[in-house]
Amino acid sequence: MSFSNIFLRPFHTSKECYHIIKMSRLRVVDNSEIGRRAMAEGKPPKCIHVYNKKGVGTIGDKVLVAILGEKKKGILVGVKKHQPPRVPKFDTNNIVLIDDTGTPLGNRIHVPIPVMLRTILKEKTFAKGVDYTKILAIASRFV
Amino acid sequence: MFSNLYRQCLVEKHFVYNLFPLCKWSQCFASSQPELATESTIQAFEEPEKRSIKLEQRFIYPEFLPDPKIEWRNSIRERLERQDMLKRRSQIEIPEFYVGTIMAVTSFTPHSTSKKNRFLGICIQRKGCGLRATFVLRNIIDNLGTEVAYHLYDPTIEKIEVIRLEKRLDDELFYLRDALPEYSTFPLDMEPVILPDNTPIPVNTTQVILKPRPWVGRWERTDFKGINREHMMTLISDKMKMQIAKHQKPWEKYDLMKQYRATIPEEEQKEIFAEVYSQLHQLELGKKKSKRIRTFVKPKKSA
Amino acid sequence: MNQADLSKLVSKLRINIRPRHYNLKNPKGPEGRLERLRIVVTGLIKHERIQLNYRVADEARGYAERLISEAIRYGDCHAPTMEIADYWLTEKQLIHKLFKVLVPRFHECNMSYTKLLRLSTDHELTRMQGVLELRGNPYPPLIKDLSRNRNLLHNVLLDAARKDYRHEQYLRIAQGMSSEGKKSNEETITGNIEDKDKNEKA
Repeated sequence: MSFSNIFLRPFHTSKECYHIIKMSRLRVVDNSEIGRRAMAEGKPPKCIHVYNKKGVGTIGDKVLVAILGEKKKGILVGVKKHQPPRVPKFDTNNIVLIDDTGTPLGNRIHVPIPVMLRTILKEKTFAKGVDYTKILAIASRFV
Repeated sequence: MFSNLYRQCLVEKHFVYNLFPLCKWSQCFASSQPELATESTIQAFEEPEKRSIKLEQRFIYPEFLPDPKIEWRNSIRERLERQDMLKRRSQIEIPEFYVGTIMAVTSFTPHSTSKKNRFLGICIQRKGCGLRATFVLRNIIDNLGTEVAYHLYDPTIEKIEVIRLEKRLDDELFYLRDALPEYSTFPLDMEPVILPDNTPIPVNTTQVILKPRPWVGRWERTDFKGINREHMMTLISDKMKMQIAKHQKPWEKYDLMKQYRATIPEEEQKEIFAEVYSQLHQLELGKKKSKRIRTFVKPKKSA
Repeated sequence: MNQADLSKLVSKLRINIRPRHYNLKNPKGPEGRLERLRIVVTGLIKHERIQLNYRVADEARGYAERLISEAIRYGDCHAPTMEIADYWLTEKQLIHKLFKVLVPRFHECNMSYTKLLRLSTDHELTRMQGVLELRGNPYPPLIKDLSRNRNLLHNVLLDAARKDYRHEQYLRIAQGMSSEGKKSNEETITGNIEDKDKNEKA
């Protein structure tokens, strides 16, 4: 929980808060310049859209984030909400920033990412569409 | 008591027209009276032994006890589940473990290239009954807390290893999410510590120090013994301290029926463990044998 | 999905347990509910038969049963049981009654320790009333003992067995009159008793 005090509200933190919806704060886990600066300044990116039909993001979903006054796209590579058996659950909501072609902005991910992301990202990749599998190449460890 | 009654009636040669004693009489007739006396004395001697053998197992195999919720009880389903559990236990070795034990689980996964996945961590929760029994492992990998839940009888699990067998002071360790990272950090290549046979399970009495708020739970309102309370009190506000007393429920320890509805009575537990005792015992013997064989084979290979 | 609580071992009760407790409304919440039931349990142990609202009686019955079964299970030298008895019995002399009177009374009992009966209500507006009593109380029974009805099957069989037995007795006396040997007489007596046993089993 790296929220700065400005964003701490007096309402209780229930399970719903772990859902990744619009206005959720996320954590950038790659070493892209903008991501590193945002986390260092204590201004974590804010989810402004989840690209799925439910509106609640989970592992492998694409999100649009507002980060340091810019709009960037990112892939969720680990979430905090409750997961089915054998799927890892992390202490933070992690994203990796990508550009429109699916190329990650950084060149290293410094946290473990779930193994099932391989299958999910391969399924989402089409021949003439966006290639998400480049994220897998920069991952350091799978759990 | 009723055998005495019967004896009296025989002496007086008169019959009591009562349904209930009649039923009891018919039981008494089945065995003659001197035998009855010996049986009762034998039971008195054997009972404490039986209790110690069978009912200690409930800590090792808690998932064999059914769900205490009365609406969900179904004796046939429970029995079938127990048979399935024993079948699964004969396939892979499911070791004895408790909350607080450090374990490693190797499972098959279609996602990775090696088709296998190993996760090591401390068991922070063990819940559920029957085939739906689960446990949760937690570890901090690359400074990121990671938790994985497993079904105990999941057919995709290849191996469950116990790395360090120990207990903690509590039944749930979810406060490790809010504790300092060193309490749940374990190297993934940790080597197993083997306890000598017939030693009591060691209890780890560490009291964790929590990180500053916000927390996942209201730990100050709980009575977990594994949290350093003095340090926790420095982290919370005065208002929260005021609210602690308000949320205590001291009457719950006197609520006998609530406790009864949350447990399986002793008689039913005895029945269940008597049913599975022989097969579990054989499995344990098999484990010991295989261990012996392994220790015998190893020096051959090195030579 | 729950797991059974392992820390406590309890004896099985011989009454039907409702899956959930009755929702006895009380302004003090669950604590007040227990306090109300405490009065009922104390009254039951003291008077051995009480008449009250049926739902309260049904709820208090479980607690009284559990209290007695704990007392039988652990005896009076067990501190937690003593604490529970101290909470549930507001009049302290009743603790002595529980351990010295009720425990010996129910020690070998293989039925429920209490009985609950519904009372017919005269008016729709009155709440359903019940009578809660301990077994083995000194009062006259509330229900007629129907097991003495002559037309019940087991009584018919017993009557027949008795008739046969008498018939054989008469025969034996007749044989005795005709002055037979004493040894053969004894054999017939034992044979008669065995026959009688068989009849009763049937």
